[in-house]
Amino acid sequence: MAELLAPPEETSERRPPVASGLRMGLRALGASLVRPLVAVIFAFVAGAIVILITWPDKTVDPFTNVIHAYTTLFTGSYGSLYSLSNTLVEVIPLTLASLSVAISFRTGLFNIGAAGQLAAGGTVADMIGLTHQSWPGWLLVPTMIVAGTAAGAIIGGIAGFLKAWRGAHEVVTTIMLNWIVFWVSDYIINSNPFVTPFGTPETKVLPINAQLPSLAALSNQWFHTHFNTFLYTVDVSLFFVIVAVIVYWLLIARTTFGYELRVVGQNQQAAKYAGIPIKRTIFLVMIISGAFSGLAGALNLMGQPGYNLAAQAYSQLPTGFDAIAVALLGNTTTIGVVISSLFLGGLRSGSTDMQAVAHVDPNLVLVIEALLLFFITAEFIPIIRRYLPAWMKSNRGRAPVVPARPAQAMAELAGGGVDGAGEAQNEVVITDLEKEQ
Amino acid sequence: MFWQIILRSLISSNTWQTTLEFAGLLVLPAIGGVISERSGVVNIAMEGMMLAGAFASVMITLAMHNLGLNPFLCVLVGTLAAILAGGLMALIHAVVSINFKADQIVSGIAINIIALGLTSYLVYVITPAGQGVPSLPGNLRLPTPNFGPLASIPWIGPVLFQQNLVFYLAVLILIGSQLLLFRTNLGLRIRAVGEHPQAADTAGINVRLLRYMCVLTSGLLSGLAGAYLALGVAGIFNPGMTNGRGYIALAAMIFGKYTPLGAAIGCLIFALGDGLGIPLQDLSNSPNIANLLNALPYILTLIALVGLVGRTTPPAADGIPYDPASE
Repeated sequence: MAELLAPPEETSERRPPVASGLRMGLRALGASLVRPLVAVIFAFVAGAIVILITWPDKTVDPFTNVIHAYTTLFTGSYGSLYSLSNTLVEVIPLTLASLSVAISFRTGLFNIGAAGQLAAGGTVADMIGLTHQSWPGWLLVPTMIVAGTAAGAIIGGIAGFLKAWRGAHEVVTTIMLNWIVFWVSDYIINSNPFVTPFGTPETKVLPINAQLPSLAALSNQWFHTHFNTFLYTVDVSLFFVIVAVIVYWLLIARTTFGYELRVVGQNQQAAKYAGIPIKRTIFLVMIISGAFSGLAGALNLMGQPGYNLAAQAYSQLPTGFDAIAVALLGNTTTIGVVISSLFLGGLRSGSTDMQAVAHVDPNLVLVIEALLLFFITAEFIPIIRRYLPAWMKSNRGRAPVVPARPAQAMAELAGGGVDGAGEAQNEVVITDLEKEQ
Repeated sequence: MFWQIILRSLISSNTWQTTLEFAGLLVLPAIGGVISERSGVVNIAMEGMMLAGAFASVMITLAMHNLGLNPFLCVLVGTLAAILAGGLMALIHAVVSINFKADQIVSGIAINIIALGLTSYLVYVITPAGQGVPSLPGNLRLPTPNFGPLASIPWIGPVLFQQNLVFYLAVLILIGSQLLLFRTNLGLRIRAVGEHPQAADTAGINVRLLRYMCVLTSGLLSGLAGAYLALGVAGIFNPGMTNGRGYIALAAMIFGKYTPLGAAIGCLIFALGDGLGIPLQDLSNSPNIANLLNALPYILTLIALVGLVGRTTPPAADGIPYDPASE
């Protein structure tokens, strides 16, 4: 037990000899690639072990079945245009909600209110859509989107205000706001102008002028293609997501405000001495964070078949919490979030195929997702290295410089070149500031 | 009319019986969270630990029952299994965040996800196609201790003396943990490790060992809460049945400023939401009003948080892996 508890860490870190810039760059790239790749491989191997152990039908060769399960998982997520469309349907709200979580993480805020902000966005958009059915589409659709976004922003803003000026912890306030929104939304869904006349606890279907067209329908109309619009349901929200991703990147990496929020997130003392208005930054970040989630709620309602809300659906919807996993997996960088939500969204949508074809329960995907998080965040490489036999420790060995903050790996693979420059600059300023103190 | 309904619900003993039942459920993981965070390890994994506990308790209880054992023994072993399952989840959190120095929030979220995924997956594997876990017969629930005449006192009897066994255990644990943290040497050490691990280490305290113990304790308590939920309240296991209660316990912990008693007050307020739900639905003509009223405890919490509680400061070293080499 004692040995397990207190392994002395290797602290001496031999600096590599001076190398050319290119070699250094390549080595840094290699080091940042190792972690996510190893993590992905480990996660899938561990998932395979779970299948092997639990596989009930011992007559079928279990290894074949693992291969079969994983193949269908990937063909089911990216293998065809149809599965790609289904994956994107999952990815759209997930990406937006992840951006929402990511921007608050960047500011050092743990916003677990994406679920509630998303619900607020969807509910308000639904209310506008059902009460203004006579409006033309060009007016109604933007109004609904703006109102939904604003609703999310208000819910986020309340948490931000309470955090900034009253010191109320955002974890508590966002959870409370989640449940307030869920209950009020259930009330609205069940009350009069909105509820269906058939006695079921859901709202009427939005009129056609309040719906977002699917990409397939647009393509059929403009390019005279013949996509089946019932199969390919991914809608024009995809463009909103692309815009949102660009906005997030610009905001974080290219604006003064983005710089300020990162300083607030990394070192509030430094932010204070640099004259950054901390309270206002926190408030604004939570507003923006809520807006991303509110937008997700509005788009998901307006874009996907059904076009209505059911009572108690929002409190069961996993998107808000999946978004936390995605944001952490992508280490809150722009490309990290995009890649990991494409990855996890793909796993989610592929898992239904995996169940239908290979008879493996889709919840296995959750296990893989969690293992991935573990392997990405745990600094296991130095520990594994320590127990390797001597001949396997090459002298370049020390190299994989493990990032100081965990969960950086996938993001560095992805976003290193994008947000990295700004961050380096950031560090310099902060160390300067600390010297001043 | 509106206020009349609320008032009548508030004086009904049913409301308070359910409120206390759910408060007991929430307070266990909340205390676990307090102990873990006081020692400097952020723990948002109570949700997953509870879920693992609920799963283990139902599965083991049913398996023992199928062996034809005495129902009380089945429930007892099931409850122990729940505690162990919660502890196992906590062990993962401890190894990953203390030895592997992982980001503790990431690890916590991963535990919540893996608990949801694994339990749902195992339900699918174990139970015959798509049927789910059967609900437990009445004799496989957590027993209610017999308080004799106390239980028949009007209003007070059902509220205070007709709860399940683990409820009373939770009350004892609450008092015990408050005393432990603030009145004993061990508690002082735990808090020292959470505030300034370097200083504690210099004073000869084994930082990692203490953190391990505290994280494990939080898992054991959350696992027990899982048994409370599955064997005491629900009588069945459904995938994802904790439904955010672990996060509400987390909120109660912060609301209570990282003290067991404060967290318990938070749990009472949050549990009022569950307590009010059913009486409100019965009393009001339109069941829809109940939806709106259910939001009330959460609104009250927000107001209380802003007006009375104010700023909460977590332990200084909360969430920072201890590295003896630094400083």
